[in-house]
Formats: sequence, C-alpha cells, structure tokens
Amino acid sequence: MRAAGPRPRLTAIPGVAYLLAGLFLVFAIAGSGFASVANLLNIGVQSSILLLLALPMTLIIMSQGLDLSVGAVLGLAGVVLALVLADGGTLPLAFAAALAVGAAFGVLNGLLVVGLGIPPFVTTLGTLGIAQGAALVATGGHSVSGLGGALPALYAGTWLGLPFSIVVAAAAYAAFHGLLYHTRFGVYVFALGGNPEALGLAGVRAPLYHVGVYAVGGLMAGFAALLLTGRMNAGHPIAAIGMEFDAIAAVIVGGTSFERGNGWLPGTVLGVLTVGVLRNGLNVLAVPSSLQVAGIGLLVIAALLIDSVRRTR
Amino acid sequence: MTADVPRPGPPLVEMRGVTKTFPGVRALDEVSLAIRAGEVHMLLGQNGAGKSTLIKVLYGATHPDRGEILIEGRPVRITSAADGRRLGIAVIFQELSLVPYLDVAQNIFLGREFRGPVPGTVSHRRAHAEARRLLDLLGLDLDTRTPVQALGVAQQQLVEIAKALSQQARILVMDEPTAALSDHEVELLFDRIRALKQQGIAIVYISHRLREVFAIGDRITVLRDGRHVATTTPGETSLDALVALMVGREVDTTYRHGFCERPGGVVLSVSDLAAENGVRGASLEVRAGEIVGLAGLVGAGRTELARAIFGADRVTGGSVALDGADLRAGPDATACAVRAGAGLVPEDRKAEGLALARSVQDNLLVSGLRRLFPRGWYRAGVAARTATGLIERLAVATPSPRQPVRLLSGGNQQKVVIGKWLNAGSRFFIFDEPTRGIDVGAKAEIYRLIERLVHDGAGVLLISSELPEMVAVCDRAYVMRDKAIVGELPRGELTEENILRLAMHHDGGGSPRRGAR
Repeated sequence: MRAAGPRPRLTAIPGVAYLLAGLFLVFAIAGSGFASVANLLNIGVQSSILLLLALPMTLIIMSQGLDLSVGAVLGLAGVVLALVLADGGTLPLAFAAALAVGAAFGVLNGLLVVGLGIPPFVTTLGTLGIAQGAALVATGGHSVSGLGGALPALYAGTWLGLPFSIVVAAAAYAAFHGLLYHTRFGVYVFALGGNPEALGLAGVRAPLYHVGVYAVGGLMAGFAALLLTGRMNAGHPIAAIGMEFDAIAAVIVGGTSFERGNGWLPGTVLGVLTVGVLRNGLNVLAVPSSLQVAGIGLLVIAALLIDSVRRTR
Repeated sequence: MTADVPRPGPPLVEMRGVTKTFPGVRALDEVSLAIRAGEVHMLLGQNGAGKSTLIKVLYGATHPDRGEILIEGRPVRITSAADGRRLGIAVIFQELSLVPYLDVAQNIFLGREFRGPVPGTVSHRRAHAEARRLLDLLGLDLDTRTPVQALGVAQQQLVEIAKALSQQARILVMDEPTAALSDHEVELLFDRIRALKQQGIAIVYISHRLREVFAIGDRITVLRDGRHVATTTPGETSLDALVALMVGREVDTTYRHGFCERPGGVVLSVSDLAAENGVRGASLEVRAGEIVGLAGLVGAGRTELARAIFGADRVTGGSVALDGADLRAGPDATACAVRAGAGLVPEDRKAEGLALARSVQDNLLVSGLRRLFPRGWYRAGVAARTATGLIERLAVATPSPRQPVRLLSGGNQQKVVIGKWLNAGSRFFIFDEPTRGIDVGAKAEIYRLIERLVHDGAGVLLISSELPEMVAVCDRAYVMRDKAIVGELPRGELTEENILRLAMHHDGGGSPRRGAR
C-alpha cells in the first residue's frame, strides 16, 4: 500500500497521478473549453455516479472478488426508482425501493460467492443477466418518464455552489474512507484478501463479512440510481450498461490489485477522475464513444505498466 | 537459565491416549502428554513423527479419533481454533498467519480490535500504544505502522510471536519459532520465554535445533511414528541419546536388491548453484546408475534445490549440467532441462505432476509429444500404441488408457508421472517424496520402478522425509540444512543417526546465520 510505511512514502506518487496530470494537460491544450470551470464541474458530475460504484468495487477487488453486475443492478434500481415515482409514490419511498433492489442483488451475489463457492466472475455475470432482463421486462424496453417534480428539484440543488451529485459523491467517499480505515469491517476487508485463513483462526466470522462486502456493492448500486435517474429525469433500462467496465478500470488504474488485499481508496478517486477526464476529453475532441472504450482499455494497461516499471526499478 | 527447576505440580494440560488416523497412516497412536504450568516442554521427532498432528489436536485444528484433553484436571472439548483461544491456548504458526497489507499493530490485534468511540469503529491510537508496549517487551525496534508485507521474514516471525503473546494465553504453542531468526533475536525470544515461565505459562516448543532443547527446555518428549517414545529432562539425557530415541523406525528393507557398485558417467553436475528461492552454494553430482538421496528436515530447502535444478525457480548463480552440457537459465529453463533429459516427479503430483481431469493416455504422452510427433501432427494410432506400451511396462492398473487420471489410486498416479518422463526420454529423474500418501504395497513397487530406472542407466535424485526409506534405498546422500548442502554421506556412513546429526542444529557453534543481519 502506498499510503503507509516509511519507505514507500518517499516514492509515493502513484502512477495514476502522473496519468491524470498528463491526460489533463493534453486535453487542456488540445481541446478548447476543456479546462473551463463549467466543464470541470461537468467532469465531476459525470464522475460521481462512477465513484459510487468504484468505491465498493475497491473493497470487492481487495477481497479478491469481482462484481460484474453493478451496472445492470444500477440500471434496474434506476428503473424501479422511476416506476415508483411515475406511479405517484413519494421520493423517499422510491429511493428506498431502489436501495432495496440493490441490496438484494448484493446479498444474493455474496451468498452465491461465499455460501456456495461459485466464482465471483460467474456469479455476477449471472446476476448481471438477471438484473438486465428484469429491467427490460419491468419497462417493456421503453424508458419511464413523468416522474414528477421532487427528483428534479433535489438533483438541481447545490451546496456551497457544488452540484448535488458532487456533494453526494464526496459524502460517499468520506463514508467509505471511514469504513475501510477506521472500522473492524475495514480491517477484515484487508484480511479477506490478504489472508482469509488468518482471519478465521483469529475467531472472526469471516464469511459474514465477506457477504457484507458484496452487499455494500449492491447497496451502492441502488444508491447511485438516485443520481442516474435524477440526471436523466427518466428511467432507462439500459442506461447503465457497461458501467461495471468503467468502475473496474477505475479501481485498477487507481492502484488496487487482485493480489493479497492490496487496496488504496484515494487511488480509486484518482482512477475515477482519470476515466472521467479521458471520457470527457475525448468527447470534447468529438471522438466516438465506441473508441472511448478502447481508450479506457489502453488507460488500464498504461497504469499497470507504469506501476510495474516503477516497482522493478 | 536451564538451572531453573520447573515447579512440580499438577499438569496444566493433559492429553490422554490421543489417537488419530489418516487414510493409510496412523498419525498418532495412544499418545499421552502432560504439560505443567511454568515449563517449556520440548517436542522432538523426525518428520512425520506426529508432532504437528499432536499440536493441531491441542488447538482444535483437527479432531482425534480417540483420546481426551484435560485442562487443570477437567476434560474439555476443543473442536475449533476459537475453542482453543477461549481456553487460553495460543499458537505461533510456522506458516505465517499475517495479513500483508495491514500494519504491525492491526495484525497483532486482528480479531480483537480495540473499540473506538463509535460502534463498529476501531481505535488505532490504543492499538499502536499497546503494540508498542508488546514490541518493547520483545526488544523489537519496529514501527507499528509498517505494513507487514514491507518486513522481512524474520521480522514477520517476530510480529507473529508478539501476536501470540498478546493473547494472554496460559498455554503457548511454538512450532519452530526460531527457524527464521538471527542469534540475537533468538536470545531475545528466549528471555521472553523465561519471563513467561515465571508467570506460570505452559509452553510447548517444537524445534529442529537440538541445542535449543538444552538452552531453553525443561522437559523433553520424543515422538516416533506417532507413538510416545520417552519423556525426559535435559539433565538426564544427551544429544546422542535424543537422536537415538528419534530413529529406529521399522521399514521394509527389501526395497533395493543391490546397490550400485560401479557408477557410470556423470549425468547431473551442479556447481555452486544459487536461486531466487533461497538455495545457495549447492554443489552435487549424480552418476548413471545411482540413486542419490537429498535428505534434510522439512523446510531445509530440498524441494527448492530440486526446482532450481529443473529450472522451475529462477537461478541466480552457479551452473547445472546434464550429460556434460550446461543448461540454460532463464524463462525457458524448464523446457531446456526437459529436452536435455531431465524429469521431475513432484511432491504434489496432483497439482504439479498431472492433469487430473485428462486421461491416462494424455498424461503419459504430454511431455513427449515433441519426440513422438516431431512434425506436429497428432497420430491417434501411434499415441494409443505408445500409451498402451507404457501402461504395460509400468503395470499401471487402469481399466483403459482413456480413464481420467484422477480416478486412479495414488500409486498408479505416481506411475503415470514416471511414465510421462520415460516417454519424454528422460535420463535424469528427480523424485520429490515419491511415496507420500501411498500405501505400503505400492511403495515397494515405486521403489522397484526407481531401481529399474537406474539399472537402465538413468541417474536419480531422491528427496524423502522418510529417513528409513532413504537409508534403505540410496547409494549415497547429500544432507541439507537452511537451504544449503551441509554434508555428503557415502553408502557406508548412510544411517539415520548421521543424517539427523547433519540435518539438525547441534554443532554448538551457533547458527550459520550469526551476524547476518
């Protein structure tokens, strides 16, 4: 972990920071209007949903797991939120329903992975399909609109001049930072990835915490539905397809690895911003979104290369 | 010091008639052991004598078939590590039980975190303060905020010890705690152990370093073949007497029909080999027609040396030559070694020697495909004939060449691994624990196969923890300790006693690591 220890601290600027700075410079020079305050806030808004997914993904990857279902679960939760609102339900009720959908999928993932020992890749590929299908069935494939005024009003709100979604993302980061670095749960996340046997020998009910990691992932996908549906003021069943790719990429670019519980939460923020800057910058330069995916793939490989070169040096 | 007389009194822990059978092996046979408060009870025995199983029973990692455990005279049930902890039993594991990306303090208190002000939170401040106090007791100048993955093995071992000490245990089990420590660190640990004795803590101490028995032990129990052989005190015994107690296992001596009188040319020549896995300065030679033993205790580096010779672990110095030709080091070292005629029959044959789900035929042919089909075309008829020939030659008991290898018995699986190398044209074989987990009848058969290999002009390097088997089978042997070769025993001097003398530390001159840090 780069954040701790006397020796690593000296060479502590992680590869992702260079990447972020480099990309930022390139786009600031090449794209007119990229470095404007309005566009930077825009990057923040665009990145906030991704951050809500990437934070729990960091914990999942640290525990040597994976969650491919977050994008689809987010889509389903967004649709549920929209359906409840369109049906005349209050915003708190709709939000609670979205959270419940997310948490249910998270717990299901956890039980399948931990309880039945199905590999996370397979489990969450399966639940991805289930959530995706459920969203399409619930909406008949159409988008859900006519959500009333409460959600747009909340989403348009600001605090200290910052858009609602950035405030939410910042609060979520603070919560996860506390969770990972200052609670027993956080300590056990490190242990689940680093030495699960030691955790069991220490008398901790490790499987419970392991399921909890996936439950938090699902819950946050449900939470992110508030921002997703708020941004579009409608529920689109396929709006979040592929977001798991960005989330996993952001976590890995941020320096968390699949090995031995090596994770770094601030790195995930940098990773999310790097993905956000790349997407936004390519948009500003009018690069089609299909090519943007390739760009993110390159980014992941570049980040890993930088870190591995620095390690061996 | 050793002059401390242990307070006589009722035993704190008593194990009575503990019996544990694994398939094919009686690991513990009616073993009884009494440990008093305030004593260091040394547990001695060869590999496989039952020490590890006995302490696993004690801390709840395995359940005995028969027998009981009493603490302060009351029978207790220990069915999990958590039970053991509740009863005040702490274990310092040989395999480190640390979490790499948690810091020293977090590791020491894993599972017993100090509560913070808010429910669910932890207090880092108290953890670091308490960890500091513990480390100071051990005389350790470590930053409690360092993640343990940044520490060396010795320091990690010391953190492990601090962790066990922090559990306020009444019974402390140490499984080779000094294996990775320097002399200075060993002294600090012994000081701690003496202080713990004063507090009335009972310590069970497993060591392969005989001089430690006399430095710190109060009583000594020797196990052999899962049986209790003797319990004595350092004052009543001697190094030679202990070695004599540890050896003497019964073994079928008909494994070998005749020893190699006139060895042929040098097949394998290793000179000053060093490898990333820790092997250093290893020089040895195997000639055609010879079975050469590689003896040593678990952890002495035998498997590591074998893997370095085979090119499976990265070599950093020295050279390996097969039939006089130097083998290349580097990423394709293994492919090069195989093509030059080397074959490795690994200890974990299921993971490293076989593709379990594939057929007997596929496994027999996999390493020799290049030889069998030089142009790259797989010809089913040739493959089937070759496989059938090997099955007959090795007498593999299988209903068909198409049988998945996982359905075969251990002995027959081992034959398939050997056949794989025969088909690859190997002339030099490394056997790593070839008879582990194999029943007695199959054992003799495996050794007959090995004997036939050398009879046909191959050279064999044999690793075994079964000293009696090694003595019965090998033409000569090298002995390893601390990842280096420490001696060679010709046939005439090849006895269990001599191997143990070389393999264990009791030279009195201190460990070879003296001052290494």
